[in-house]
Amino acid sequence: MSVSKINMAALVRSSFGLFKNSILNTAIRSLSTSKPLNIKEIREHKEGTKLVVEAVSLPSPRKDLLVRADNIDLPSSNCEHESSVKEPCYMCALGLDVKHTDVLILSQFVRSDGCMLPRRITGLCRRQQKKIGKMVSMAQKAGLMINLTPAWCKKDPKKRKDYKKFNTYFDEKTIFWKRIPDQNDKWKR
Amino acid sequence: MSAFKRVQQWATFARTWHVFDCKWQDPYDSAQVIKKYLMGLHKPIYHPTNDCGDVVVCINSRDIALRGDEWRKRAYFHHTGYPGGASWTLAWELHNKDPTMIIRKAIYRSMKGNLQRRHTMERLFIFPGEDVPQDIMQNVTNQIRQLRLVPTRLDHIPEEEVQKYPKVMDYPQDYVLK
Repeated sequence: MSVSKINMAALVRSSFGLFKNSILNTAIRSLSTSKPLNIKEIREHKEGTKLVVEAVSLPSPRKDLLVRADNIDLPSSNCEHESSVKEPCYMCALGLDVKHTDVLILSQFVRSDGCMLPRRITGLCRRQQKKIGKMVSMAQKAGLMINLTPAWCKKDPKKRKDYKKFNTYFDEKTIFWKRIPDQNDKWKR
Repeated sequence: MSAFKRVQQWATFARTWHVFDCKWQDPYDSAQVIKKYLMGLHKPIYHPTNDCGDVVVCINSRDIALRGDEWRKRAYFHHTGYPGGASWTLAWELHNKDPTMIIRKAIYRSMKGNLQRRHTMERLFIFPGEDVPQDIMQNVTNQIRQLRLVPTRLDHIPEEEVQKYPKVMDYPQDYVLK
């Protein structure tokens, strides 16, 4: 008797969850009240006295240059947390050895002010998002992407203060280290 | 002795002058390479009592690169000998005072502390920039290969090349271009 009660409760809860999702979650929702979304550019122009703001749908500027693992022959994917169910994200599938000095690749993942794009836009897996995000900040600290910085930023790395004005390189191995060992610790007993 | 053998003898015992560009190089890694040329360890005739070390000219020592946060974490210790005379200078402070000091100390510390070390260091020339006196530069016959690739800044790559470079990431359909 009690077992069937619990089952019933679980069923009700799950069905309620489904119902809630169908209303609230726009990603799953099949019905839409407006036109399907596209890559958009917001344009403002004046027609006489009224200001017209419109979002114009455009094709992606990166469409022709896009590299995907399906189109090229690769031996195997290098995804480190690979499971049989989930297919790897596009960076895992490509298996590129990206360094923080590869600014031509890293600059694709940032906004015009040099901020890393969030995961819902980049579409990476968690590990790759973390890795790319850290490498973007490494490249910014090393002053390799100074044209992608906020306007108030000191563009020339030589004009930065104190230790920041000297050249710095980074080791990509340290990205997933829990704690980066201190140089002074080796003298401790 | 034939003329060829005589010239070979001269060439074997002559000092070669090497140039090393320190731009974007780790001083502690490059010290391990430079010391071999200074001491003559790269020669088959090497012996500790044999004076066969070469001369190394380091240029662009102002543009060395340290790893991670070492500019503000690495400290150089000095003691005047008087009580309370200890001082610790951070790497970036030392580099502000003398841009040749970090690479000089790195090479000095990479060698064994024997009586020969001071004399070996006499064969090392370090210049903060690219301008080297003519009487030194005219002797140079070899360049030591750099250990790390000098990175290219994004703003130094032509705009056209950046646009044409193959893309990995594509924007989602509902992304608003900025």
